This record gives sequence, structure tokens and C-alpha cells, in this order.
Amino acid sequence: MLYKRNGDHRIWSKEETLDREEYWAIQLNRLQETVKRVYDKVPFYRNRFQKMGLEPGDIQSLEDLKRLPFTTKEDFRDHYPFGLFSVSKKEIVRFHASSGTTGKPTVVGYTRNDMETWKELIARLVTQAGVTEEDTAQIAFGYGLFTGAFGLHQGLEHVGAAVIPTSSGNTEKQIMIMEDFGTTALICTPSYGLHMAEVAKSMGKEPGKDFQLKWGLFGGEGSTEAMRNELNQAWGIFSTENYGMSELMGPGVSGECLALSGMHISEDHFLAEIIDPETGKVLAPGQRGELVITTITKEALPIIRYRTKDITSLDYEKCSCGRTTVRMAKIKGRSDDMLILGGVNVFPSQIEEVLIKSEGIGPHYQIKVYKKEYLDKIEVDVELTDATYLDSYAKLESLSQTIRGKLRSVLGIDAKVNLVQPASLPRFEGKAKRVIDLRKEE
Amino acid sequence: MAIQQLSVLIPNRHGTLANLTDIFYREKIDIRAISVYDTTEYGILRTVVDDPERAVEVLKRNGIVAMLSDIMAVNPEDRRGSLNEIFGILAEAGVNVDYVYSFVVEKGGAQYFVIKVEEISRAESLLSEKGIEVIKKL
Repeated sequence: MLYKRNGDHRIWSKEETLDREEYWAIQLNRLQETVKRVYDKVPFYRNRFQKMGLEPGDIQSLEDLKRLPFTTKEDFRDHYPFGLFSVSKKEIVRFHASSGTTGKPTVVGYTRNDMETWKELIARLVTQAGVTEEDTAQIAFGYGLFTGAFGLHQGLEHVGAAVIPTSSGNTEKQIMIMEDFGTTALICTPSYGLHMAEVAKSMGKEPGKDFQLKWGLFGGEGSTEAMRNELNQAWGIFSTENYGMSELMGPGVSGECLALSGMHISEDHFLAEIIDPETGKVLAPGQRGELVITTITKEALPIIRYRTKDITSLDYEKCSCGRTTVRMAKIKGRSDDMLILGGVNVFPSQIEEVLIKSEGIGPHYQIKVYKKEYLDKIEVDVELTDATYLDSYAKLESLSQTIRGKLRSVLGIDAKVNLVQPASLPRFEGKAKRVIDLRKEE
Repeated sequence: MAIQQLSVLIPNRHGTLANLTDIFYREKIDIRAISVYDTTEYGILRTVVDDPERAVEVLKRNGIVAMLSDIMAVNPEDRRGSLNEIFGILAEAGVNVDYVYSFVVEKGGAQYFVIKVEEISRAESLLSEKGIEVIKKL
């Protein structure tokens, strides 16, 4: 049930409006519980704590948070699939997964209580973005292992919106449904939102007139203010951005309110820090650095000081919407080389692993990322080293199709493979720069 | 020994072809025949040069892989129906032709045809028996 209204702003839950001292008290209590939980139940954390000479009792104040070790995506990979879980499979009611840095995906799990928490966090997120029980919400994220669609789905239903689970793809049908069902809120990646507007135009529609859309809730990939303006103008909507990652929960970690002054982090569930990505030192509020999040209510997969690799800053001032929770700025980049393509995370290391195992080609490669009709595209240049493939076009084509097929099964997206001459790709003496991201020039 | 051709990968990029011919020019390798088709993704350049072994070495030094393969070269008579005759003989004997290109050896001289087939010696015998001139050396 809605907690309160503040003019145009609606607030789902009282916990979004606590005084700082109240947050501190809740956070300390929950942090201590979480630390005890992982120490007792997750050997990975107990070993780490012991190596550092730490015990759960050492966490006496929120200041002690910085004494705890970081968790990284590599830790998920090293403990695939369930090594970081703190409950048995019996207590799990849902699994999701996202791309890992290499071969195996990152697996996450939820208990019944975790699902309730997630639902609550999404209810807050969609409420602050303007959605109410009056709305018809079309979810154009892919339903599947990725957290986006299912995560938003349950929270939207929870606030009473009518959910249309169209999933991603089949854009013309999406647009027909959007018109016929009277969709008022569109939920997808910003680039897909723009692509849909283009397709609607090509179908002879006027995106700003022929639809009843009011709200756009965009996430799954970073976006710029220019993209927001373009989306607002194309569809005649009010757009907000939201942020999350499966390792921490999925969508629901933070999101913008109608004041558009940063993304509110639900502080009764997550502790946010900003660190210097080089030294790991905690930076003062307002300074820009890497976002580190500790989950303090999760049961199945509590995570201590997760290095998101996303670059942002934190603002603790009370927001004009009435919420008191800390706000994070738009993501300004990554401290690693992860690429986000149409909401799907791709690591160059995943591509490298496929290429190294492929015959006929050398170890050097170059990745090109660009946009075509608002959609992210990726091409991989590899050097042909085995001349026998030049015997016929069929052999050459079959080689590139084989590599393309392997990449598709590992990345979950289609990457075009270009065979080039050996020694034609740049060589690097220091840190290799194998990714050319042409999207950044927009 | 059969005549050898070089196959070279030429990505669809500006200047690739010129770069290749320039290497041959500088290294004094003479191109006898050359063939490239327009394809969307890749091109494979096929060429017959005067010194194929050295050409492979030279290209390798320049970071270009080339494949050497045997091909058949014939010198059909300059009269109507001579090509029809050649392909007729091959078809009847069940010899598959992968591709064909032609070249002129000297100014006003003979016009040769490069024919890529699987079974070169059998194809050569089939044609020689019918009095068609098979070129063994350029």
C-alpha cells in the first residue's frame, strides 16, 4: 500500500523517508546480522575473514564496514554455481544468472523472503517513477535467466499495475499491443525504447500521438541525458532511469524519482560506499569513484562489499521528492572493460576464450561496438592464420560461421566475425586496447 | 608438375588489392593471371605468378597468408565451340569444376584458361587425349 503522497510525488514505503540516525541504527543492526550469517554459513567468507583476523564481533559500528573484504565477480566465477550461497537449495525458490567474465555464468538465488524484499524494492522503484495501479505496464525486457523482466514484473503487479509481459523482440507486435492494450508505461532498455519509436514510425504511427504512453522506466544499460530527451520527445513520455545488477538483487538497487536528481538507493537494504578503484580506499561523500554495495537483508546470497565496477558518486542531501535515501549519480563509466550490449553484459575475456579455442585463427582480435538504428551491434575482427581455408569461399564462410555460433552460445548475443589478414590487427606492448566503442562518440 | 596458384585473403577494405600488387612489384614477381570476385564479406584473390614459392615467402614476410594449390591451365583453340568442348569432356567424365578464369600470356598471344578441379591429372589426361593443349609450365 502506498505510504504517502507529496504533490506529484508518491512514496511507496515509510522506510524511504527515515532520518539519517534511524538508517544508521537499522544499517548497523542488519550489517552485523549479515556478517554473522556469512561467517557462519559461507566458507568463502569465513576463510577470508579469518585470513584478515576478523570476527563478526569486530563490527561495532558502520565505520567498521571498511575493514571487511571486497567481493568481486571473479569470486562468483570461482565458486560457481552455488559456492557463495548461505542457504541450502531447499530454501531457494528462484534462480537467475547473468554473464560471467568467462565461460560460466554468474548464478544468483532467492529465498521466499528475498522474493518479498525484491517485490518491495521494485514497488518503491516503479512508484517513484510515476507508475500506479492505474497504469498498464509493458515489459519489453527478455524473460529468462536475466533478472530484468521477472524482477520488475512482480513489483509492478504488487503496486497493482496491469502487466503485459511482451518480453523483448518482435517489435512490430510489441507496438501493436502497445496501441491496442493502451500501454501507459514502457519498461525496457533505453536503446530498445528508441528502436521501438523508429519502428513505430516506419509502421506509419506517430509515437507521440497514437499511443497512451505516459511513463518510460529504462534500465539494464547506461544512458545519457541526450538519450532521455530523445525518448521523451519521441514518445511524449516522462522517462526515469533505474539501476541494478543480478549479483546484488537485479533491478531495484536504485532508481530515479520524478525530481530526476539521482537514483535513490534503498538504504534499509543496501549499504553504499564509493572507493578509489585503484587503491580500494573509501572516498568522501560527493567524490566520484567505484560504487561498492553490501546487501544487508538478503538471505540466499548475502554479498559483502561488492565491487560493481560502476563509476558514480553519492549525494546524502534530502531529495525534493520527500525521500531521504542516498542518491547515486548517473553511471559515468566502468573501472573494468565490461561492455553492455542491449542490456546484456559482455566481457572481452569471454570473447577471447572462444577465439583461443577456435582453429584456423590467431590470438589477436579487435572488438568493434556501434549502434545501428539505435540497437547495439558488435563485430569481432580475427586474423586468419591457416591458409588452407582460402581453398574456397565455402570453407572460409564456414569458419567464420562456426566462430560466430560459438560466440552466440557463450555471449547470448550475435557478434559478426570478420576474418582479416595475419598481422593486420594492432599489437600492444602494454595494456591491450582491443575494444573500439563507437557508441561513446554520440 | 602442375601450375600453382596463390590464394590470398583480401578483406573488404580500401587499398588491400593495391597493397598486394605493390609488394609483388617491389619484389619483381610477375603476375600472369589474377581473379577477384565481388562478395559481401571477404574476397579471395587467386593469382598465378612466375615464382609462386617465392611469392608465398614474400607475402609471409609482409604478414599475409597465402595458400598454394595446383590448378590446371589449358590453351583452347581460338574457334567457336572450343570451350564448350572442354567443359563437355569434363562434365561427361564427372569432373567438377570449382572455378575458371582466363589470362593472356603475351601481347596478341595465346589466351589461357585456369580451371580449378579436384582431380587434376585425370582432367589433364582427359583433355590431352582429345587434343586440347594442357599447359604444364608458364
